[in-house]
Amino acid sequence: MEKELSRRDFLRAGGAGFAGAALLWAAGCGGQQGGQQQEEGGGGGLVERGDIRIEFVTHGPAADPFWSVVKNGVDRAAADLGVEVNYRGPERFSIPEIQRNFEAAIASEPSGMAVTIADPDALVPEVRKAVDQGIPVVALNAGLDVWERAGALNYVGQTEYEAGVEAGRRMREAGVRSALCINHQQGVVTLDQRCAGFEEGLGGSVTEVAVKGDDPTAAQNGIETALRQNPDVEGMLALGPQGALPALKALQASDRGGDIRFGTFDLSPEVLRAIRDERMLFAIDQQQFLQGYLPVVFLTTYAQYLLHPVGVIPTGPAFVTRQTAEEVIQLSRQGIR
Amino acid sequence: MTQTTADGAPLIEARGISKYFGSVVALEDVSMDVRAGEVMCLLGDNGAGKSTLIKVFSGVHPPDRGSLLVEGEEVSFSSPRDAMDRGIATVYQDLAMIPLMGISRNFFLGREPTRGRGPFRRFDVKFADRITREQLRRIGIEIRDTSQPVATLSGGERQSVAIARAVYFGAKVLILDEPTSALGVKQASIVLRYIARTREQGIGVVFITHNVHHAYLVGDRFTVLNHGRSMGTFERQEIGLHELERLMAGGAELEKLEAELSGGGE
Amino acid sequence: MTNAATSGERLRRAGALQRWLTRPELAAVAGAALVFAFFAVVAGDSGFLTLGGTASYLEVAAQLGIVAVPVAMLMIAGEFDLSVGSMVGAAGMIIAISVAEYGWPLWAGVLAAFAAAVLVGLFNGYVVIKTGLPSFIVTLGMLFALRGLTIGFARLLTGRTQIGGLDEAAAGGVLAPLFSGTIGPFSVTVLWWVLLAVLGTWVLQRTVFGNWIFGSGGDPVAARNVGVPVNRVKITLFVCTALSAALLATIQVLDAGSADVLRGTLLELQAIAAAVIGGVLLTGGYGSVVGAVFGALIFGMVSQGIFFTGINTDWFQVFVGVMLLVAVLFNNYIRKRASEAR
Repeated sequence: MEKELSRRDFLRAGGAGFAGAALLWAAGCGGQQGGQQQEEGGGGGLVERGDIRIEFVTHGPAADPFWSVVKNGVDRAAADLGVEVNYRGPERFSIPEIQRNFEAAIASEPSGMAVTIADPDALVPEVRKAVDQGIPVVALNAGLDVWERAGALNYVGQTEYEAGVEAGRRMREAGVRSALCINHQQGVVTLDQRCAGFEEGLGGSVTEVAVKGDDPTAAQNGIETALRQNPDVEGMLALGPQGALPALKALQASDRGGDIRFGTFDLSPEVLRAIRDERMLFAIDQQQFLQGYLPVVFLTTYAQYLLHPVGVIPTGPAFVTRQTAEEVIQLSRQGIR
Repeated sequence: MTQTTADGAPLIEARGISKYFGSVVALEDVSMDVRAGEVMCLLGDNGAGKSTLIKVFSGVHPPDRGSLLVEGEEVSFSSPRDAMDRGIATVYQDLAMIPLMGISRNFFLGREPTRGRGPFRRFDVKFADRITREQLRRIGIEIRDTSQPVATLSGGERQSVAIARAVYFGAKVLILDEPTSALGVKQASIVLRYIARTREQGIGVVFITHNVHHAYLVGDRFTVLNHGRSMGTFERQEIGLHELERLMAGGAELEKLEAELSGGGE
Repeated sequence: MTNAATSGERLRRAGALQRWLTRPELAAVAGAALVFAFFAVVAGDSGFLTLGGTASYLEVAAQLGIVAVPVAMLMIAGEFDLSVGSMVGAAGMIIAISVAEYGWPLWAGVLAAFAAAVLVGLFNGYVVIKTGLPSFIVTLGMLFALRGLTIGFARLLTGRTQIGGLDEAAAGGVLAPLFSGTIGPFSVTVLWWVLLAVLGTWVLQRTVFGNWIFGSGGDPVAARNVGVPVNRVKITLFVCTALSAALLATIQVLDAGSADVLRGTLLELQAIAAAVIGGVLLTGGYGSVVGAVFGALIFGMVSQGIFFTGINTDWFQVFVGVMLLVAVLFNNYIRKRASEAR
């Protein structure tokens, strides 16, 4: 039977496709970021709060426990100020993906961008591109040494090297002479600085152990192996929860758990419990909630009034020890710390 | 009448060919020859050895015993390409036609015409299209679009295209492996007509089939194989259709069976 | 032969629209137009239609497209290469380690990476041919083996899984602008993509080798019987896919100034998806490079376009999956209707 392919068939198929896509878009719209409400009393200045859109481009996946606190800070600020903020993190740490996110953010012409300069070589040019196009940029969490030459307004974060030094000093006071430094995400300059500072503060020998942060089992195995291969170490420093949690398990599994002084950067519920139960010496809180909250504030005030703080706004190190562990646990449950 | 080449030798000849696969006797002392301008039908039931014999002819298997002659000269093929180069073209049941590819691309697959030189040597699509259309027109097939996939042709048309391709590329001997076996009556008649035409061009055709009726329609001579042995070669005048059928089915054995089954209870 | 009635209908010349509708790349072109229209309407003033926005999705499309072209050609020849993603990671690390760790000049590192790609391609090809195993399995094994080798050697030789600092090595040379330069707002990657697409299309449609590719994929036994060197065709294409992975790795390394062992993860699936969206049959023997080009373009537009709509980027993968299904269904529908009508 002859059936001529008509234009109608073609349009029907195309229409179905279009309708499907539109349906999806409508569904996706439901998941849009909050912070759209107009708040009274936020007026004045060059633009209205409601017209401000800020793009947060970081190297942290939103599912990561550390970064979800940052995102909480971002969302809180967006709600408090009544501005729109989009959080863009990669699915997993991948510089090309972050570069693409940068480019898309710049092309969307936001009122401001808050970024982490995790890899200076790759990302300083991107920041420069944004700045040259007149987009104000606030750097946070990573890029302490380069934010200024990249053209950012200021830097919100922890001074990593100094924090590492302080951690080393505390370990030394606890009697540690040689230690392991567990790096769970190679290629992020902040983590390298922490280990370097730690070595200086400790004054002893530090061996870096590289593990894959997104594979807890493999990480735990790696740390257990390192413990076995370094029988003289008396201390261990993790650089984040992705390293700290496997390390806690490794210490439990190993028979030397009791002798090793363990500290970490950044908090998580398990870390806090471990401190309260004296399985860990300390945790260094860089108060990343502020790293999400403050850039939104700074970019909003810049957009409205062309005002901004100058220089580095340190959010850490804040040491959490057994004394303060219980209160911090409560705040952690709310996703604040 | 049948013709021979200039010096009287048949186009190809098998003399006492034997072929064994392990302990299996595929062919035992089989002799057969094909002359120019004739259709030689190779008959036999399944497993008689027809496929093996034509694989020997087309260079796929070397014979274990016996010799192969092409135009009177003894040859030994080291590969199918060898046989092709000597003008022996085989059209297998799968036709070597690629269903999703266009007709002219199929026609020239492996022997693509080119123009230009060096890195700019390209497949001469225009030439291929023109020739394909011409050759198909000669066998009565009109094609709207030579880039339409081969799958859009009917079974009989596809067979004919495969044969036309072999003829175009200079086949002297055309070996057709069961060309009509998968076709309905109408399609088969297309192919049989074309086979008859091919004979008129002086090509020697080896027509393998287990369908005696088709064979008898176009055949000049008939060779019957049974369990790897030749039951003889017969000219058309020498043998009738019924006789041929009987021979194919096993001759004396079948008579015995017939007697048993009908005469049983007496 | 054909009787009067049937020859009448057969003689009707194929309408131009009819012929165009059965081309393999139709679904991809239509899909790309649809996706473009969608984002233009929904996100046009949020930056999708700006020069910067266009450059950003073209970059994603180009990076995928560079690998999708030879992957599509290999699929048309009837084989899969699932190891291209791991090859990107491996090639990148070869460049980074040789330059940053051993002080080689940049051109030597890049050359080493390309040489490694040739070896990997040859290995893939020979194993597939000699063992007769499905290429899906052989290259899947290579996917794991190559990724493992990359991670293992990286740790062994440098103790790290990510190596930076290549910007200095690249500075002032000719390689950096060649692989990571820009022309206006667009990067050189797009140029490489276009170049490979043109080359691939020309080879496939206009050369003898291209005919052999279709033949090898359509029916390798039949093709061999008429003298097509099927083995040579397939091995050559395996080398091409590996080389394209090395090219992408070079571009990424010079662009980011660093390499890491996980680069290229999942790339092989995206490349296959782009090819399938572009009309390449999974069973081989049919398809086009142009289709794969538009398939990669769809990927780029969706992955970056979703950014401009303000929708959570988590939904990106849903979009891609749906897009893939819709494109293939559309393709099948059109092809079926058009071939019925013959």
